[in-house]
Amino acid sequence: MVIVLIVLFAATLIYFFLSERVANFIWLLSVQGALLFGIAFNNLIHIKTLELIVILLETLIVKAIVIPWFLNRLRHKNQLKRVHESKVPVFYSLILISAVLIGCFLMSYTIDNEVIQLRFFTVALATVIGGMYFIVIHKNIFSHLVGFLIIENGAFLLSLAVGGEMPFLVSLAVLLDVLIAVLVIGVFMNKVKDTFDTISASNLSQLKD
Amino acid sequence: MILNSLVIILVSLVFPGVIALTKAKIAGRKGASVLQPFFDNIRLFRKGNVFSTTTSWIFQVAPVIYFSTIFMALLFIPIGKQPAIFSFEGDFVLFAYLLAFGKFMMIAAAMDTGSGFEGMGANREAFYSLLVEPAFFIVIASMALLTNHTSFYDLFNNLHIESQLSYLIAILSVYIFLWIAMVENSRLPVDDPKTHLELTMVHEVMVLDFSGFDLALIQLANGLKFAIYGALIFNFVLPMQDYFAAQLVFFFMVEFIFAISVGALESFRARNKMAKNAQWIISLTALAILGFLSVLIITGKIILMN
Repeated sequence: MVIVLIVLFAATLIYFFLSERVANFIWLLSVQGALLFGIAFNNLIHIKTLELIVILLETLIVKAIVIPWFLNRLRHKNQLKRVHESKVPVFYSLILISAVLIGCFLMSYTIDNEVIQLRFFTVALATVIGGMYFIVIHKNIFSHLVGFLIIENGAFLLSLAVGGEMPFLVSLAVLLDVLIAVLVIGVFMNKVKDTFDTISASNLSQLKD
Repeated sequence: MILNSLVIILVSLVFPGVIALTKAKIAGRKGASVLQPFFDNIRLFRKGNVFSTTTSWIFQVAPVIYFSTIFMALLFIPIGKQPAIFSFEGDFVLFAYLLAFGKFMMIAAAMDTGSGFEGMGANREAFYSLLVEPAFFIVIASMALLTNHTSFYDLFNNLHIESQLSYLIAILSVYIFLWIAMVENSRLPVDDPKTHLELTMVHEVMVLDFSGFDLALIQLANGLKFAIYGALIFNFVLPMQDYFAAQLVFFFMVEFIFAISVGALESFRARNKMAKNAQWIISLTALAILGFLSVLIITGKIILMN
């Protein structure tokens, strides 16, 4: 079951690069959150109530509901354009992400390590690379935030790959970290929009003392 | 064996009619009978051809070659446990290239007319076919890897859905095949057969200069192509039945559902922007690659199970 969810997770990565609509980005983030819950839930060896609550809170509540809701609010408040086109044509991005996925899967051949769970590691690595690429090819802050959240989802998968189960406190800290980061970038975006009347990051490069 | 081809031909005659009727019903119109396109073709068959003086022999032979290549491709399609007329290892490659050859002749004929619009349509058609081909081959190659067979008949007869991942692969393959069928038949979201502007046409603009007998051949071939893809989807989705009669009932059901789905899709979905078509088609290949990687996991070529 976990492997099915991981393949679906990889499919969402492809759709991130296919779609150019902001609403789709938010929807895909929500789907990724729900898939992460499924993956983490299936990976639990013994279901302890506390662990289950933390995972439920981190994935299903925060990643799948709270953050998408906040992003939607941010989108409406700043009256963002419905379509965020990237600097690189989508055609090339799709080829690149396919190549990254193939590369990461093939890489699992060369890794012979009992500590790392490869089924999470391959897609996690592709997600982190994909998130970084997403940030590079987009111009505005909102898309950068989406890219950051993709990387964060990849990091969550990586933590499953190396740890099996994370200590409860680390999970809580990561959860708090992500929430605060999203809130801070949201406030930052509001300020940028108020000052420059656009959320393009190119304006920030012209700032002087 | 011949019965396979006969039922596919039978379905192809009513397929465009079912799509048109579905669209009419959804739009709140009464709609023509499902046999209307068939009667239209009979009327066209009685008419003669009109050839432009600019055209050469290529334009005259193209529709016949187009129809015959698709007819030949039809002979490779099994239905359940009934083998196809032609079946050998690697027959899907010939199948794909027969369809490609027919398309090549139509593209050459469109260029032969000397019309700027037709050249543009031909260019687009060639580009989209080129983009969709990797997706087709990757899906079939995945199935070949999964079953260890490379002919349509063996491939479909050894396709067993066992693990959860193979369910996902089956769903993914059908999804990709559905869209490949839409692209190959020049339908939404890549092309709109009802468009009235030559500038935005893809396939329709290529056949603007054909008339009478030739036009009827092209339309029959288009129906055949739909029925062939429907038969391929049927082979993917339904397990083999011991009784041919039961298989036939399922076959007609799948084709009917496929035709209604196409009609419904064309009623509700808007066409892609022309510039977005390429990226949309290449996403099918990306998904096919994902399916291929899943097959590698199932077959143990990539070990991810630790």
